[in-house]
Amino acid sequence: MTDIHVETERVQGHHLLEVKDLFVEFHTRDGVARVINGVSYHLDPGETLAVLGESGSGKSVTAQAIMGILDMPPAKIPKGQILYNGEDLLKMPEDKRRDIRGQQISMIFQDALSALNPVFSVGWQISETLRTRMGMSKADAMKRAVELMDQVKIPAAKARLKDYPHQFSGGMRQRVMIAMSLAMDPKVLIADEPTTALDVTVQAQIMDLLADLRRDLNMGMILITHDLGVVADVADRIAVMYAGRIIEHADVRALYKQPAHPYTKGLLESIPRLDDKGTVLKTIKGLPPNLMRLPTGCKYHPRCPYTQPICVSDEPRSLNLGNGRTSACHFAKEMLSGELG
Amino acid sequence: MFRYLVRRFLQMILVFVATTFIVFALMYATGGDPIQALAGERPVSEQQRAQLTKLYGLDQPFLVRYWNYLTGLLRLDFGKALNGRDVSEIIASALPVTAKLALIAIITTIVVGVVAGIIAGVRRGSIFDNSTLVLTLIVIGIPIVTLAPLAQYIFGIKLGWFPATAAGREDDIYALLLPGIILGALSVATAMRLTRASFNENLRSDYVRTARSKGLPGRRVIGVHVLRNSLIPIITFLGIELGALMAGAIVTESVFNVNGIGFNLARALRTEDAPLVVGLVSVLVIIFLVANLIVDLLYAVLDPRIRYE
Repeated sequence: MTDIHVETERVQGHHLLEVKDLFVEFHTRDGVARVINGVSYHLDPGETLAVLGESGSGKSVTAQAIMGILDMPPAKIPKGQILYNGEDLLKMPEDKRRDIRGQQISMIFQDALSALNPVFSVGWQISETLRTRMGMSKADAMKRAVELMDQVKIPAAKARLKDYPHQFSGGMRQRVMIAMSLAMDPKVLIADEPTTALDVTVQAQIMDLLADLRRDLNMGMILITHDLGVVADVADRIAVMYAGRIIEHADVRALYKQPAHPYTKGLLESIPRLDDKGTVLKTIKGLPPNLMRLPTGCKYHPRCPYTQPICVSDEPRSLNLGNGRTSACHFAKEMLSGELG
Repeated sequence: MFRYLVRRFLQMILVFVATTFIVFALMYATGGDPIQALAGERPVSEQQRAQLTKLYGLDQPFLVRYWNYLTGLLRLDFGKALNGRDVSEIIASALPVTAKLALIAIITTIVVGVVAGIIAGVRRGSIFDNSTLVLTLIVIGIPIVTLAPLAQYIFGIKLGWFPATAAGREDDIYALLLPGIILGALSVATAMRLTRASFNENLRSDYVRTARSKGLPGRRVIGVHVLRNSLIPIITFLGIELGALMAGAIVTESVFNVNGIGFNLARALRTEDAPLVVGLVSVLVIIFLVANLIVDLLYAVLDPRIRYE
């Protein structure tokens, strides 16, 4: 975070978006799955927060809670706040909340082929909110759709307006998705694994595009991913999630330099490297915990190579390590100083 | 697209020839004496027999008779029924009646079945959903041969809400209402379940999540995004169901004395009136084939992923 951001923060008195101590649980026939257990993070204009974690760590559910598109039931939010410009979205009446959805905070999804409606043309889908929510005429909305498609660098945008999602390549489809999410000039863009379904070369193009758009439009971006490689170039800060908690939060550089949580360390070590030819790739042993039966103490202790008795008995609090850096590990200071591991 | 249409048209001709051939052969093979059937109990003299045999071409070999019949069809000549009337004339008077009946049935299916299916699909697990599920199960379980007389007794005779029979009042829509609704009742149950399943499935799809995240109101998400996708299997069903409606019309029209295609077909079968049976079945086959073609073309309109070449 730069000093300018700190300044604007102080003037307005609050962040653009702030999740405070959020809990989400799913009530199913087999019991209650505690998917989010006290997540807090914040986002300011023009910055990118990467939310990193394995499948089931709760990163997408947090995003869906922000968007207000969780199916409730089975989902339930027993506790927490989601503040947008200081206003709690969870306390808003539904129609007011709907105004924010798409217009202030919008979202793009992993698989654009299934996330786009197969029976409507892309022009129709991009312009839909402009026609139905902004009251634009059909012609104006379509003109704006072409502009948006140009903005996300879809070649021959005008000619492709009437095409359907299945007629586009994977990368182009994701660009359509992005164009659609930008239609109403949102202040926050949540990208839920936007490149996971794409080829590696196309992944880089989409990430570049998102980074450019974020800068040009001065949006705040939440980038949800499980891919550490994707994060390094675009994110300002990283929040690492495990079993529904943020176990480490830090500036990208600081985190890559020295992780303050054994899980983050494990993730960084399991990235294959070109200069490590011949050595066996390190992995994190075991599986993510069952959310119906979370382990005692630190949720990571069954997989952690440094587990001590205290890890089994006590759940670590999130420890403030200065410079906005936090870690939920009993031995965070030792991790940071390099004494451990 | 043009090539597809040509191919489909040729296929339709093939199917038409094959089905009429089968019906023609079946009527030929029943082996009754058509001339005696025509005369009823009265004796037929040798001279009359010879004359009638010549008139109906009964002395010709089977294939020749079939060929004559087919070429006659090209001139819209369906031949003569055994009662001396032109088959085409009977069809011309019966077809509009059955068409009206089928229209009432289809409207019933759409209004009751599809609408209830949408509500049940959107409110899965609600009281409405569960009670309609049980109700449709009962309706599916009752065959039309039971349902039609039952409805006639209850609504036509006991309650007197509708005329119990439509005989001689085929121009009166009101008289056709009860048989039409009964005819549609069978499809209502299936249409409801199909719509419910289709809505259910589409409601859970990713594009619905996208539509909601665009901040669209719930009624637009369901009424535009989900509906358009759910309609695809429903339209197919309605098209194919038209064939089942024709079959159902045989029973319904007989029970309610509606002078339509089904009523005439039932009578023709009873009196072994071969030319009339073949003629009426030909009409049903054509209706079925055309309905299927329309459904397939609609398919491409509703789902842009489908293209015909």
